[in-house]
Amino acid sequence: MKTIQLIEKIEGEATLKFSYNGVKIDFVDIEFFNTRNIENILLNKPALDALVINPRVCGVCGHAHLQATAKALEDCIDGLTLPNKAKIIRELSLNFEIIQNHFKWFYMTIMPLLGYKDVYIKALYPSQTINKAIATIAGQYPHNSYAIVGGIVSEVTTMDLVRLKSLIDEVVEFFEKEVLQSSIANLQECDNVDLLLSRDGDVPKVLHHLKNQNLYSLGKSYDRFIVFGSSSYFESGKSNKTRVTKSLDTKYIKEIPNQTSKAKNITYKDKYFEVGPLSRAMLKKTPLIKDAHRKYGDSIFSRIIARACEIPQLLLHSKDLISQIDLNEPSYIEPSVEISHLSGTGVGIVEAARGSLIHKVNLQNGIIKDYQIITPTQWNLGNGTKESLAIAQKAMVGLDDEHTAELVFKTFDVCSVCTTH
Amino acid sequence: MSKCKLLWLTSISCNGNAHSFLNYPHIQTFLNDFEFVYHPILESTYTLQEILEQELKCDIVLLEGAISQEFSKLDISITDTLLRYAKSAKAIVTVGTCATFGGIFKDSGYSNASGLHYIKDTKHHRYDELLSKTVSISGCPVQPEVLAETLYAIKDDMALKLDEYQRVKEFFAYTVHNGCIRNEYFEYKVDNHQFGEKEGCMFYDHGCQAPFTRGSCNKLLWNETNSKTRNGEPCHGCSEPNFPTTNLYKTQKNMGIPQNMPLGVNKRAYLTLAGVTKAFKIKRLEEDLF
Repeated sequence: MKTIQLIEKIEGEATLKFSYNGVKIDFVDIEFFNTRNIENILLNKPALDALVINPRVCGVCGHAHLQATAKALEDCIDGLTLPNKAKIIRELSLNFEIIQNHFKWFYMTIMPLLGYKDVYIKALYPSQTINKAIATIAGQYPHNSYAIVGGIVSEVTTMDLVRLKSLIDEVVEFFEKEVLQSSIANLQECDNVDLLLSRDGDVPKVLHHLKNQNLYSLGKSYDRFIVFGSSSYFESGKSNKTRVTKSLDTKYIKEIPNQTSKAKNITYKDKYFEVGPLSRAMLKKTPLIKDAHRKYGDSIFSRIIARACEIPQLLLHSKDLISQIDLNEPSYIEPSVEISHLSGTGVGIVEAARGSLIHKVNLQNGIIKDYQIITPTQWNLGNGTKESLAIAQKAMVGLDDEHTAELVFKTFDVCSVCTTH
Repeated sequence: MSKCKLLWLTSISCNGNAHSFLNYPHIQTFLNDFEFVYHPILESTYTLQEILEQELKCDIVLLEGAISQEFSKLDISITDTLLRYAKSAKAIVTVGTCATFGGIFKDSGYSNASGLHYIKDTKHHRYDELLSKTVSISGCPVQPEVLAETLYAIKDDMALKLDEYQRVKEFFAYTVHNGCIRNEYFEYKVDNHQFGEKEGCMFYDHGCQAPFTRGSCNKLLWNETNSKTRNGEPCHGCSEPNFPTTNLYKTQKNMGIPQNMPLGVNKRAYLTLAGVTKAFKIKRLEEDLF
């Protein structure tokens, strides 16, 4: 038997074509059908124009695309100095983008799928509040281009920092009241997922729901994780079950076109890897998520708790970052070379909301001659064959029905526009 | 009273306008007055499949993204879907620069990709029958207040004054320059010498298009907080027909004079004025603000 399901509200759409072997799903063809050819649009444009074009890859994680672009262009310049203040502020605004994304995913995607009504509106207050924090340092959200080669355009002030702290505190308060009734500082220390289940709040409510409906152990894939981007918070590396390797090289990444979908498959050393919050927590060895993984493996339970609990981690870390800012440092140091004469290749990697985002550029005399983007969702939502299933396919094969498969699929936080760019 | 029914159709786009709209500060009240028959993120009355395969009632069609006959969902062309619903709708609102002028994604490789009525600043006449009920809101993305308030005005049959591209004048008669806190530097021709500084105007060297770009970025502010130019980023002209232009961080000049003049300003008059303002030498504006 074969069935087709249109999956919507994933920043666009995708089609899942299910094959059944008797009562169980034995293959899923994942098709993304609309591409926008951003990589071609960039060709023959002056290098810095990519900073304006690339955020438009995606309406929800455009900021990650901006920063990957800035890093890729900066990588073309030998000996470029980036002021520490600019590094910290870039990291802050990227943290904020991840935070707003996770709130939207939890309240607008996951809870409605589990049958909760009128919850989507709950995402708006915390996401609007943290977006004000982005606007404070980056001008606006979505679609700013405030990170430039050599730093950032903004000169952040004392009062901006005061405002940032207040906005973060408002989101912390919301999280502690609505999402998980616990102090986020305690949560950071918590290494027992059962303690979290004893609390009130929407995250424990969802996790109990998964347990009561016997859904918690579903959605397991290869238990292979990879994180390319590193920051003052995220650690790069890969893990296979619990065996961790720290050194990675982008030369082992392969982009493979597939027959039915517009999205290319991505492998590292010819293997599929999961990216995203669960991978980041595994590499960072976040105590709570390690405990969830020990008990429930790489299931939807672990994936959901990892994404939701990245919010408090990043809120706390952002407060710490703010305290490290030295306002006397410059925001920008003009590169010593003229970008309009620059030739070379560069790679820019950041951890975006959904996982590792990689941009590669080739410049000749300041003009873009080649541009390649590998998005997190390409890692997770590749369309492999029956013999070699990609990450999300593997997680869906063996399930009984399409609704459950949709839930599993969406725990990867699907982004159609990024996948096809 | 029944709610005004909105159908949000997404064509060749990044979903940026749909996300920008989520930042509308009064969205909860808005949803008491409007119902999304379909929205790409928010809870909607129908599924996309139902929208594509049936003909459901809607009052206002919102289009996000550039359009092309070749671009389809479930093998149904987006233009067919749009026309089917637009016929009986009270109004069509093009949300964003792609839907209005083609924007970045007119270059995605789909045949005849364009905005609903324009390809850049040229009318293509393919859907002229819809022109009289089209309202354009350009911007990449649009400001949520601009969209929400325009929808209220349409719902309540309030008179809207429109410009030559059907944009609401109340938002697009202003330039992005209006309200920029760097205006004094513009008036007295003090350059922004380097990025990352509070001081200086970016029109002279850093490619700022605010003096000739229509929009309310500095009138309404983004996220009720800030704007690109206030923050030190040049305006890239994202609400105008020719967005994206090129060399977006550098002012194009002829003989040292910016190629694009502030809106409506004659080049000779500009030169005269520039000579006068240069004579001012205002110490306060040459120094750090604080």
